[in-house]
Amino acid sequence: MASPNDSVKQMFDVWQQSQDAFMSAQRDFAENIGKSFAQAAGADEIDADADVAETWQAFMKSWTPLWDPSGSLSGLSGAPDSLDFTHLLDPRNWTAHAPEQLRGMLESISHGPEFADLATPQADAAKVWREVLDFQEAAADFSKVLQDAWLRAFSEYSSKHSVDDLKSGKVQEALDRWLKIANSHLLETQRSQPFLDAQKRLLRTGVEVKRRQREQAEAWCAEYQIPTRSEVDDLTHIVHELRAELRAAQRELRNVRSGGKK
Amino acid sequence: MMPRRDKIRTSKSTPMDETMHAYDQAAESYRVAWAQMLDASTRAAKSGEVLGQTQRDEVQIAETPADEVFRVDKVRVFRYRPIAKVRKDLAPVLICYGLFGRQTMIDLQDDRSMVRNMLAQGVDVYVVDWGTPTRADQYLSLDDYIDFYLRSCVEHLVEENGGRPINLFGICEGGTFAVALAALEPKLFSGLALAITPVDFDGEPEKFWPGEGFLNTWFKNLEEEDIDRLIDTYGMLPGAMTGVVFSSLTPINSMTKYNLGIARMEGDKAAILNFLRMEKWIADRPDHPGRAAKQWLTNLYQRNELTRGEFEVTGRKVDLTKIACPVLNIYAEQDHIIPVSCSKALGRFVKPKLYEEIGFPGGHVGVFVSRKAQGVVAGGICEWLDRMGKGAKSKPAGKKTSTKKKK
Repeated sequence: MASPNDSVKQMFDVWQQSQDAFMSAQRDFAENIGKSFAQAAGADEIDADADVAETWQAFMKSWTPLWDPSGSLSGLSGAPDSLDFTHLLDPRNWTAHAPEQLRGMLESISHGPEFADLATPQADAAKVWREVLDFQEAAADFSKVLQDAWLRAFSEYSSKHSVDDLKSGKVQEALDRWLKIANSHLLETQRSQPFLDAQKRLLRTGVEVKRRQREQAEAWCAEYQIPTRSEVDDLTHIVHELRAELRAAQRELRNVRSGGKK
Repeated sequence: MMPRRDKIRTSKSTPMDETMHAYDQAAESYRVAWAQMLDASTRAAKSGEVLGQTQRDEVQIAETPADEVFRVDKVRVFRYRPIAKVRKDLAPVLICYGLFGRQTMIDLQDDRSMVRNMLAQGVDVYVVDWGTPTRADQYLSLDDYIDFYLRSCVEHLVEENGGRPINLFGICEGGTFAVALAALEPKLFSGLALAITPVDFDGEPEKFWPGEGFLNTWFKNLEEEDIDRLIDTYGMLPGAMTGVVFSSLTPINSMTKYNLGIARMEGDKAAILNFLRMEKWIADRPDHPGRAAKQWLTNLYQRNELTRGEFEVTGRKVDLTKIACPVLNIYAEQDHIIPVSCSKALGRFVKPKLYEEIGFPGGHVGVFVSRKAQGVVAGGICEWLDRMGKGAKSKPAGKKTSTKKKK
């Protein structure tokens, strides 16, 4: 039997106690997550309509009862009203959405006063960056709408079918049923206002990024004496108008000639 | 469908029983799933093998021989070489596809070719090829396409036909072009056949089935400014973009066609080649000239000017009631791109004695490529041409014109 003063045993005890503490903490954490999300989303099924922010607030409140997360979350849809630590806990900042701090900084640069000879390239760069962030955010929002549709499809499928269906031996049928349900939810979603709004914003932000890329490319072309896209477009327009005038004149001439014969 | 596990529990079961039951069930399910997956994989591998052996050259479309007979700028008219021993005494048919895809759809493969079916019936068939618009064509408008290019093609054939009117067969957007020209220049036409053609761009949304009318909904949801900025930025409406839009109209089908779809062909070479021909056609999606696209989306999809009598072509209002020739309007009952009500609306404007419809029980593309369509659609058109033929040939097409342009 080892002595109580055995250093190896002491080390082992310390290690075991720390493991116990760690596992205990994990258990508490998991239980809190389970309780919070169960309250927000329902105990045995996924509630795809639950608002992510509300769910998150409920979870945070159960974890840190004395802290009110609503204040810090309220400003997230618009300009940031605080740059505190809580932003780091917002799940929206873990996705493709830009951290609000970064967005705020870019906004202040790109919307700030314009100087003739000062910091113009930096302001332009800030605009480009902000527009790319806008596009990424719009893409993430668009994906979210579709993800919700997939969740609803999964919810419906799992409420009607289970792994037991496989025992029927008709996996193909089970797959077809899943695809039919998914298709139905996707089609329904594609007609919904959240989808239409997200689609419109995705298009708008994507076009803005493309326009900005073109401006940058044209600035580079101008620097190196290369014709720009806009200049070629102008030329194309002039040629188009001239051809249209020529056609009209030719048609008029034909009409006059055929009229003259009569 | 089997009941859910939680529904077959009994009150007498012990936790250990339930655990063992769940384990047995999972093991059995796993075994069945694995066996089926293996079976499915074997079948998929057969398709994979055929795909691996298929050469690009084997996948050909639009192989019916045709000769160029007219050209203006990039636009060309081809005449298909006759294959019937006896040519019908009918006015020629000019086929006019839209700008969102290629006219090759009408001749995808030998045994599913609308063109071949018409030729076999002794019909003289021509087709408009719009060419490949580039950014140099971005300022071409619907005025140019309807009142200059299409009209020039038609006038050329009228001249070749001895000054007598011809039959125009418009498809999809090309059908809308055909409708507009037939209303503006009725004397040029002895008959107007249409397929999957939008006329009323609102349609009847309350009657749309779940997958119908997305384009109408989506385009109406945009502001005019959105469309202007999109087109001004790209110059054109990119074909790749319209391709993505069309794919998203049938989301699950688009997601599964390259995996489940191919696997389910189980190595059937003919089915795989059919699929690859369709893919080849889809991949060849030209950019739509920008200014014409703006008009298509804004004046037609958003403002629905055609049925309101407000749509103008080179300053002339298009009055659909001016269509004076017999009309055959073919629509697809499961068309996810052009709603049935958007096509059938033409019947409100054309005199009843001149107007006929064929409702095809299939989708937008199925009108041309399905086996059933070869009889219903191609056969229907030929039969209609036979009935209309005599009356149309006897009348001159008004003022004789000389518009042959060659470059």
